[in-house]
Formats: sequence, C-alpha cells, structure tokens
Amino acid sequence: MPTVIFQLPDGTERKVTAASGTVLMQAAVSNGVAGIVAECGGNASCATCHVYLDAAQSELAGGPNDVEDEMLDFTAAERRPTSRLSCQVQLSDALDPMLVHVPEEQV
Amino acid sequence: MNAVSAVTTAAPGAPVVDLDLADLRHDPYPAYAELRADAPLAWVPSVGRHLLTRYEDIVHAEKLPEVFSSREEGSLLLRTVGPNMLREDDPNHRRLRSAAEPPTRPRQVRDLWAGAFERTAHDLLDRIAGRGEADLIADFAEPLAAANLALVLGLHQAGAEDIADWSRAMMAGNSNYADDPDIWLRAERATRAIDDAVAEAAEAARREPDGSVISSMVHAAEPVDLTEIQNNVKVIIGGGVNEPRDVFGVGAWALLNRPAVLDRVLADPAASWKRVFEETARWVSPIGMYPRQLTQDHEIAGLTLPAGSRVALVIASGNRDESVFERADEFDLDRPNRPHLAFGGGPHFCMGAWVARHEVSAIAWPLVFSRLKGLRLEEGTESPMEGWVFRGPTSLNVTWQAA
Repeated sequence: MPTVIFQLPDGTERKVTAASGTVLMQAAVSNGVAGIVAECGGNASCATCHVYLDAAQSELAGGPNDVEDEMLDFTAAERRPTSRLSCQVQLSDALDPMLVHVPEEQV
Repeated sequence: MNAVSAVTTAAPGAPVVDLDLADLRHDPYPAYAELRADAPLAWVPSVGRHLLTRYEDIVHAEKLPEVFSSREEGSLLLRTVGPNMLREDDPNHRRLRSAAEPPTRPRQVRDLWAGAFERTAHDLLDRIAGRGEADLIADFAEPLAAANLALVLGLHQAGAEDIADWSRAMMAGNSNYADDPDIWLRAERATRAIDDAVAEAAEAARREPDGSVISSMVHAAEPVDLTEIQNNVKVIIGGGVNEPRDVFGVGAWALLNRPAVLDRVLADPAASWKRVFEETARWVSPIGMYPRQLTQDHEIAGLTLPAGSRVALVIASGNRDESVFERADEFDLDRPNRPHLAFGGGPHFCMGAWVARHEVSAIAWPLVFSRLKGLRLEEGTESPMEGWVFRGPTSLNVTWQAA
C-alpha cells in the first residue's frame, strides 16, 4: 500500500496509506487531511483540492488532463508547474512514498 | 424510482419542531440558530422533511450521495420539469452533467461569454444612467442574469424577458406546496414554450455548433436525447436567473449599508470583489436548502434515519454555523477564508458557479459602482430580503447623481 506524505502549510506532515489506484484526494479526505476541501467530490469542477506534487515525482505522475488544466488556472493559490488537482491523481507503487505539498488556500 | 419508498414521517427519536413557513420566508435565520443549538436534525411538519442545520452534518451528507440520494419521490421539481440531472444520481446524473457542463467552465466563461456579459451590463446601465434612480433588481440584475443565461444556454431566439418570465413560472411550480391549479397552469405554459425554443435551438446547433450548453448537449460523446436536453434546460432556467440576481442584490445591499466597507472595496477592486462574492454567498445564500432522500438506514447528528427518510440540507444554516464561522451573522470581508456551502457539494456542485462568479463579481458590481456615482439606498428602504428555499432582495431602490 503506497504511503502519501502531505506537507501542510504550517510545516507539519501527515502520513497516510491507501491502496494503489486510490485517488489522492480520496486518500486525503477520508483521513481528514486539512487543506484539501474537494467541494465537488472529485469531478474536477471546483478547483478546491489543489496540490503541488514533489518536483521529482511530478513527471512520473504525468501532466493534467484538459479539464484539469483549465481548472488549475483558477485555483485560489498560485499555479505552479507541479500543480495538480488531487482528485485527478492516482496512487501507485511507482510513486511510493508520494510527497505532496498542500497550498495555503483552496477557496 | 427509488428502490426504497419515501417515508413522510419523523424518524424515531427525532424532535418535532413546528415552524411557520411565513416566518421562514420573512427571516429563517433565528429559527436556524435555535435548531443548530437544540435540534440539529429536526422533523418539521410544515416542510415535510427533517431539517439538517449544522455545517459538519451537511458536509457529511454531501459527501455520501449514494446514501443521500437526489432522487426524491414526489418532488415538485420533477412534476414541473420532468426527469432532470438535479434529481438524478450518478451515473445518469454524470452523463447529463458532463454533456451540459463544458460551456460553464471558467476558461470558457472568460474566453467565450465575458465580453457579451459586459456589453449587456453596459446597455442596461445606459438605459437607466440618466434617471438617477432605479430598482437595481428589476432594472438591472434580473435582465442581466436572464440575457446572460440565454446566451450561455444557446437560446438565441428568446429574449431576456421570456427567460425571466419562464424562470418565475417554474420557480412558482417548484414551490407549489399548496397545489394551486393556476400556478401549475402557468408553469405548464412556460415549460411548453421552453420545449419549443430548445427544439429549435437544438436543430440549429446540430447543423452549426456554437459553444452553448444546448450545442454541447447535442454533440455530447455519450448521447443525450431531446427530451433530456429540454428538461435540463428548464432546470437551468429555473435556477439560473435568481441565483446571480440574488447574490448581486444581497451584496449590493450589504455594501450600500456599510459605506466604510464599500470605500475599502472600491480602493482595491481587483482583490476585493471576489471576497465580496464569497462572503455574500455565505451570508445570505441564494439557495437556502435542497432535498435528499435516504437510500438506506444511516446515523447522523446522533439519530438513525431509516431508509426512505426525507431530509433537507439547509445550507443557509450551515453557512451561519458559529462553530465554523465566528460572528456568523455578520457580513465580514476579513473573516478567515473557510469554504462555504452556498454552491452545494459533491457531484451536484453548482454548475453555474463560475458563470455567476464572473458575471457578478467581475462585471455587474464593478460596473454599477463605477458608473452610478454617489449610489445610495433610497431613504427609508428596509431590508428587502425574502425567502428561505431561495432568498434575496425582492427590490433594491437606489438613487445616484445622474450625469
């Protein structure tokens, strides 16, 4: 089971594990990780589950799809090259442990 | 239909609270504060549902659409417009939503619609600017919302007046708890007119796609038939006028009553109008509640609701929950940024959110407050807010120095 390490804006870390194939947003929400709001429940229509992937893992995870790419232009915190909507990222053994930075703002 | 029939009585152990609908229409917030404190899950006979009023319980329900189903038996909305995505669950809801949604995404709003929204707003202001007085709801916010909606939907033959009339007729049907036959007749006339207009627009969009919602549904990857397009356009017209209109009206009302706050907003408009929008939608949510029906027994707010139970998620109350928003009854642009519930949550997250944000916070407010100099409420105007299922000012009479 892959591990995800969420680095929160206040400097603390949250470590969670979830099965390979689990959606990253779901892994955060079901473990109560602060800062991942996910208003639309994973349908890429609200832009409130924004995360920054680790630079080294970002390429391996692949880029955003078209809808996600559009929504990333409208996130509350600035968009960076490693920005993704966590509802569109799946956990995998290749990305274990996964390092995720939670932005300051989602709304 | 649901596998489980609707249960139209209180769940065992649920407190029964009598609320007068006229009081709720006038001002629901005092009643909600009492419910949150004493009976966060209460059976309210006049509403025929359990009212769920605390923020965290509402969020819990929104995250479990497979338990809190949108397929509500005996829904007035279903009677008014027929089967539609608002009263469907995934995967059928998802098919319809995916077909309709692309024109409402933020980049489309910016690239495809914003210019026309702005021209319409200027045209409406041109008409009233020399008068020095107006009702900003009837003379500006409603015709603006209706014209913008016609454009995004692709109903190019319909006028803003038609859209606004149809919307009012259907909203009356959706809330026709008294079963008034005249209201049904009016709603049926409106829905027939929309069916005709959509059929015509769909035919045109089939030949020549135009980026609109109707066009997007006609050309959807997963097929959507004409009846489905018609019914979903009806739902969008039903809500799509009053929501941007009401958030405009509430925000304008809040600022005109708070000159110091308004000055600060106008001093830094780029950053401020977005905050005004989100705080306005939290403070007086245009949609106050929506219904759900349980597919299975479920424990929430300390009680077990049996399968079939009818619940109202009172997002207007969740948005005033003191455990989440300090001094929740106050309009405060400086409050910490916490997600409000005004757009709903989960798969039914408001499809018009990005359209409304842009037309109201980037266009309507900035233009009104920059073009109408010395704008103020007409002397003696009392709070014009009304409604609890939907809430906003019924009128907003203002004066300014006519050029």
